[in-house]
Amino acid sequence: MEYYLGIAQTIGIHALLGWSAYVLLLTGQLSLAQVGFFAIGAYVSAILTTMFGFHIVPALMVGALLGGFFAMLVGFPALRVKGLMLVVATIAFTQFVSLFFFNVHWRREVDGVMAGPDSTQGFREIRFYAANGWDTLDVTLFIWLFVLLVMVGLWWLDRSRAGAVLRAVGADDLAAQSSGINLTVAKVTAMTAGGVIAGLAGGLYAHSATYVDHLTFSVLLATFAIAYPIIGGIHNVLGTLAATIFIQGILIEGLRFLGDWRNILFGLLIILVMNLKPNGIMDARTMRAIKRIFAGGKTADSK
Amino acid sequence: MAIERELFAKMVDFVQNCIDGIMIGAAYGLLAIGFTIIFGVMRRLNLSFGPSIMLGAFFGTWAFLTLNAAPWMVLAITIAGTVITGIYVERLCFWAIRRDATIASMVSSFAIWMQLDEVAILMLPGRTYPFPEMFVSGGLNFGPFFVRAEHLVTLLVTILMVVGIRLLLYRTTFGLALRAVSESSDAAKYMGINPSRITFLAFILVSLIGGVAGYLLLATDQQVTPYFGLWVTFKGLIAMMLGGMGSIPGAIIGGLVLGIIETQTQWYLGNAFKDMSAYVVLFLALVLRPGGLLGQGIAERQDLAFRRV
Repeated sequence: MEYYLGIAQTIGIHALLGWSAYVLLLTGQLSLAQVGFFAIGAYVSAILTTMFGFHIVPALMVGALLGGFFAMLVGFPALRVKGLMLVVATIAFTQFVSLFFFNVHWRREVDGVMAGPDSTQGFREIRFYAANGWDTLDVTLFIWLFVLLVMVGLWWLDRSRAGAVLRAVGADDLAAQSSGINLTVAKVTAMTAGGVIAGLAGGLYAHSATYVDHLTFSVLLATFAIAYPIIGGIHNVLGTLAATIFIQGILIEGLRFLGDWRNILFGLLIILVMNLKPNGIMDARTMRAIKRIFAGGKTADSK
Repeated sequence: MAIERELFAKMVDFVQNCIDGIMIGAAYGLLAIGFTIIFGVMRRLNLSFGPSIMLGAFFGTWAFLTLNAAPWMVLAITIAGTVITGIYVERLCFWAIRRDATIASMVSSFAIWMQLDEVAILMLPGRTYPFPEMFVSGGLNFGPFFVRAEHLVTLLVTILMVVGIRLLLYRTTFGLALRAVSESSDAAKYMGINPSRITFLAFILVSLIGGVAGYLLLATDQQVTPYFGLWVTFKGLIAMMLGGMGSIPGAIIGGLVLGIIETQTQWYLGNAFKDMSAYVVLFLALVLRPGGLLGQGIAERQDLAFRRV
């Protein structure tokens, strides 16, 4: 049971990370900076709970807001460039944040023990859940509460005018601009929203892993973050969740029995999916099929 | 007098750093040329470029450790391994995926990256392996300056390769076809050029360049780890972006600039800042001058796009 709850926690955190990239992908921007904001959220909220005795909820909020703040700061200059140059610029940002935390050494005595980020040794003393007697089930429910909140929020966003604006920018920014949409505002807003979600995910990650170091926040994780919405498709929010379950649940955990050969098969399966469904697992066709199944159920009921 | 001597010593340090930077930067420039050609021909990013060089180098190391191969054989095996891996990547990530699915190709090339890492670890299940040194070693003294023989070879080979690539692109039919495809693959098709064949050949060319660059870098360092792939991809991408995408002189200049910046920050600020400085410079360069040092300005490029429409 503990094992499955652990997987559920991972899926929840990775889905949040995927959604933070999804918001930006709606505007057609491919950003690998999400892991940088994830790292900021993780370190900030962990520092607040561990070194200053904050409760986890305000600590997560501060982490998320700071993630959003840095996303806004990065967004203004970075969104001047597009496409592959944005990819590389955001890779540079993620690497920079990771190297920054590699060099941070700030220890403080809490209850007779030294705690805090210790450059190369990582940040080891994040024990909020254990210290407050939360068991694995509590933690999992806590994480999924945020997952559901963000999912409902994004679902609502997709239905609202703001979602239409973001998608218009993504479909054709020139046309969007001529219809009176302010491109900079739309893109920076999407970047900030993505930064908030990523910062939140980072805080949750740091507390459930109890240990963070700079190696966690690599370009590998950043590529995973954009792979979820791309593989899932940006037709709606469920795609990202489906892709996260597919990759984390099935490909990574389900293939564990293959040992070292797992990663080799992993690559092939991703390529297979990209070939069969270039627009993502949950593209318009899949959604129609799902609707048909549900509609079929309804007609059967009414008979 | 003492102050003058101190100043002179500082000048010597600075110039020596520049020399070292240029030597390393030459190899970065080769990597950047590899990225530039692929990006120019296909408009797609091959993240697996570094890992395929890494795998080629692992084949070379494997031959060195088990078969006790001579340095020139290691060079040949490294290049052959890189070319074979490059063909594999091209077939799976670029040939098999639709031409307009840019992002799908990038994600796939990333998935292949994980695969190549795993193959390397399966082949040599450890972290660090020795890489055989070149057939030359030692160094030369020019007055107060010192140049390592490996670095000198790197620079000479780079110059030869750049001249060769230049001739290949501008003096042969293949070069003409390659440039035609990079200009517009549809128009090239109407002229009887087969774009996917040109892409395939371009991949082989790029893998050759990458294999040579990888060998030069590793023979200078004399060790190889699975992280080499990540390292190569980053250095190549940064050098390409600094110089401006799609320009071969730009790629070389980007490589040299990157090499000099790295050696200078390593000398004056310490090892921790070496990589950080490269990323900061890249971020600033992209933001302030999105076209790269030698590339077209972004405004010009958009103008060009409008005219095409």
